[in-house]
Amino acid sequence: MKSTKRRLARMQSAGVLLCAAALMATSGDPLPRLRAQTAQTAPATAPMPNLSGVWDGTGRAHPINSETIPWARTMAVGRTLPDGTKADANYVSNFPVLNERGLAFQKIFDEPLSPKYDCQPATPPAIEFDPYYMEVVQWPDRVLLRYEKDDQLRTVWLDGREPKVSDYGIQGLSVGRYDGNALIVTTTHFVFDITGFDDYNGIPSSPQKKVTERYWRDGEQLKATVTVEDLMFLRQPASYTMRWLPAAAGYKLKPFDCDPETARMSVQFIPAKYK
Amino acid sequence: MSSARNETRMAVRSCSAFVTAAAVAALLVTVAPVVAHHSAAAAYDESKRVDTQGTVTRVLLKNPHSWVFLEATDEKGQKVEWQIEMAAAASIGWTPATLPIGTEVKVGGHPSRAPGSHGMTAARFTKLDGTPIGRGQ
Repeated sequence: MKSTKRRLARMQSAGVLLCAAALMATSGDPLPRLRAQTAQTAPATAPMPNLSGVWDGTGRAHPINSETIPWARTMAVGRTLPDGTKADANYVSNFPVLNERGLAFQKIFDEPLSPKYDCQPATPPAIEFDPYYMEVVQWPDRVLLRYEKDDQLRTVWLDGREPKVSDYGIQGLSVGRYDGNALIVTTTHFVFDITGFDDYNGIPSSPQKKVTERYWRDGEQLKATVTVEDLMFLRQPASYTMRWLPAAAGYKLKPFDCDPETARMSVQFIPAKYK
Repeated sequence: MSSARNETRMAVRSCSAFVTAAAVAALLVTVAPVVAHHSAAAAYDESKRVDTQGTVTRVLLKNPHSWVFLEATDEKGQKVEWQIEMAAAASIGWTPATLPIGTEVKVGGHPSRAPGSHGMTAARFTKLDGTPIGRGQ
């Protein structure tokens, strides 16, 4: 009787082990995947580059954005460029070539119109260059780009989906793929944004704006080339390349909690362009 | 033995110099100003400088910009309120204890552009005896 009980106990243990082994073999790893990660997941065909981490995009990594950064008509020799290198005598302007509509909008633009004074966040191609931290999280079916500035989250879908008309939004809809050591992100379906090109030059962007980003690791640095097309305002694509540095170990993004009162306060000091 | 002791002393000195330099560098990185929310040139004349003295009445440590309010007296003897724009709370490195309400301060920076306004940016605060307060932006 005792020996039967012992045998039964042994069989139960073996059964549990077999079940566990079968489960692991099926799932490929001992941990259950998140439901959201398995939905619409395209099979991975190549190893993905590791771009994950918290990245420092402050003035330590590149010059602070302004009327001439990252878009500049000229650049003094020796000045630090957005990608951390120095301008030489062969610097080629990356300032966007506007069409007549773009020039007209730029002419009538009035600084207080800028929605940033109401805490509306920046969008690509400006959000990448804002001098704050950014976090990259890579999941099998998506990449999450989290920005400390304005608490923004962009989701880059890797599952092959096509944007739908219901996907229009301030940050548009991003789809992506890995290409060798790089992540390629294409974002469309932006809504009209009166400062959708950058925060400084009074250039808007239309729902035809298309932003292509290429992210890759260059040693310890994360680099990106950001290219914007918008037939409504630009005669040709405009592009810049920038870098981030690794954040200090343990750094976590802080809540931004943009305050509308203090965001708009300086508008009273701008001389009125229109009555 | 004496040479070994000297080497040890030098190593300790180099190490402490390195630690000091690293601490200073870390501090500089920590307090690096982030002022890129908007073009300061639209609201402030960066070619001019203005100085005033007064009492702190309100401090807002917020994002995208912090603000300090100061009650001062103008050249006609009238009371005026200065509104001083600072860096984002995320980067300024101040706490409410840095500049308590009621503190008498001197402050200098770029004046606002709108006629008759009393705004300032890129400000440096000092106590009345000239001791720096916090870090300007």
